[in-house]
Amino acid sequence: MSFLFALYISLVVLLLLLLGWALRAPRKRRGISVGPATLEETGQCHVTYLPQIRQALAPADFEFLASRASPKLTSRVRKERRRIALTYLSAVQEDFQRLLRLARVIAVLSPEVSTAQEFERLRLGVQFTLRCQMIRIRLLCGIAALSQLSGLSQMVSAFAVRMETAITELGERAALATELTSSLERRGVGLS
Amino acid sequence: MWAANVAGEAALAALLVLRKNYRLYPAFFSYILLVLAQNVVGFVTYRQWGYNSVIAWRIFSLTLGVLICARALVVAEVCRHLLRRFRGIWALAWRFLLVCAAFVLLYALLVSRHDRTLVVSSADRGLEFAIAVVIVALLLFARHYQMDAEPTDRWLAVGLCLYSCFSVINDTILERWLYQATALWNDLAVLTYLASLLLWIWAFRKAVPAAASEQSLLPGSVYQTFVPEINLRLRLLNKQLSQFWKVEAPEL
Repeated sequence: MSFLFALYISLVVLLLLLLGWALRAPRKRRGISVGPATLEETGQCHVTYLPQIRQALAPADFEFLASRASPKLTSRVRKERRRIALTYLSAVQEDFQRLLRLARVIAVLSPEVSTAQEFERLRLGVQFTLRCQMIRIRLLCGIAALSQLSGLSQMVSAFAVRMETAITELGERAALATELTSSLERRGVGLS
Repeated sequence: MWAANVAGEAALAALLVLRKNYRLYPAFFSYILLVLAQNVVGFVTYRQWGYNSVIAWRIFSLTLGVLICARALVVAEVCRHLLRRFRGIWALAWRFLLVCAAFVLLYALLVSRHDRTLVVSSADRGLEFAIAVVIVALLLFARHYQMDAEPTDRWLAVGLCLYSCFSVINDTILERWLYQATALWNDLAVLTYLASLLLWIWAFRKAVPAAASEQSLLPGSVYQTFVPEINLRLRLLNKQLSQFWKVEAPEL
């Protein structure tokens, strides 16, 4: 089989696969409500549960338990902690996706968009998804330490605080936010 | 099969006229009329000069070139239908798609075997490949920005893409096995075209509603203010995640 023959056949197969993927109905989209009140939820969802998550993932708790409890219970707790870590990772990813969706909606509804900003966001999205998958695999294989997740918690916490500041600014720019909300409502498609 | 194709084209042209869809899709309507004309020209040529004559080959190559250009215009029409309401995204998309098409075409022409007997099939393959890539990129673009495509545009795009993909395969088979596979090559080409034709007839079975005028847009300042801010946050989140990843993991 010549190189060209193999190249074209594989490229066409790849194109057909991509075509199928592009035509596939997207997963049920989570609504992006862009009013100032609901935007606050974007930043607050992790803040709400942060103390509990930190407590659940604290290494001291686990060490204490491991020294006192039976191996069976320790193993069960380890599994539970891993489940929490995975759920938390999904939540962080959801935060990221929410921001991505918000930026996409703004881009779609803007009269002018910047190529650099759009491609940067695409790159960041791909990078973030890959990293999350790697961490997920590490957690599932038991390679990653759950204590690292508390680092992630702090990161999300800091992120949430910054988001809150930005959202407050957004709230202050009431006219802009109202315009944004009403434009999205007028559009009424593809966002929820 | 040739008769079935001509009947299908005639039916599609009639549908476009009856449902008045030719007004919304002038490039596609012109393309179908050109295909019908090519059939007539081909029939007369082959009867007059024979299937293997040089003049028949030249006429075939010329009409093929015209048809591919017409199909490229149809692709541009589909792109416009899908994205034109969103001015900012459209401005980004058409440049991106044009660069994609130029790059793919150039690449396809560069890697082709530079054989005089294969020049038409090589050029045809390059153009068909560029068309397929542009359509797939367009649909990926629409998916990325969560734009809902009209079913007519979607089926039109799918038909064009499938036909172009199979043309690339056909040209590749022709190039590899040249005349040994000519009969098979012709049958496959006709069959895939018939499949696309049926898809298009399905797409245009009803009158397509006139597209809404341009989407009401946000003031330009919203994008300038929020998107760099959001990107900065995403960048920070990503950076912190990468630091989290790099930390050496103690025992679980």
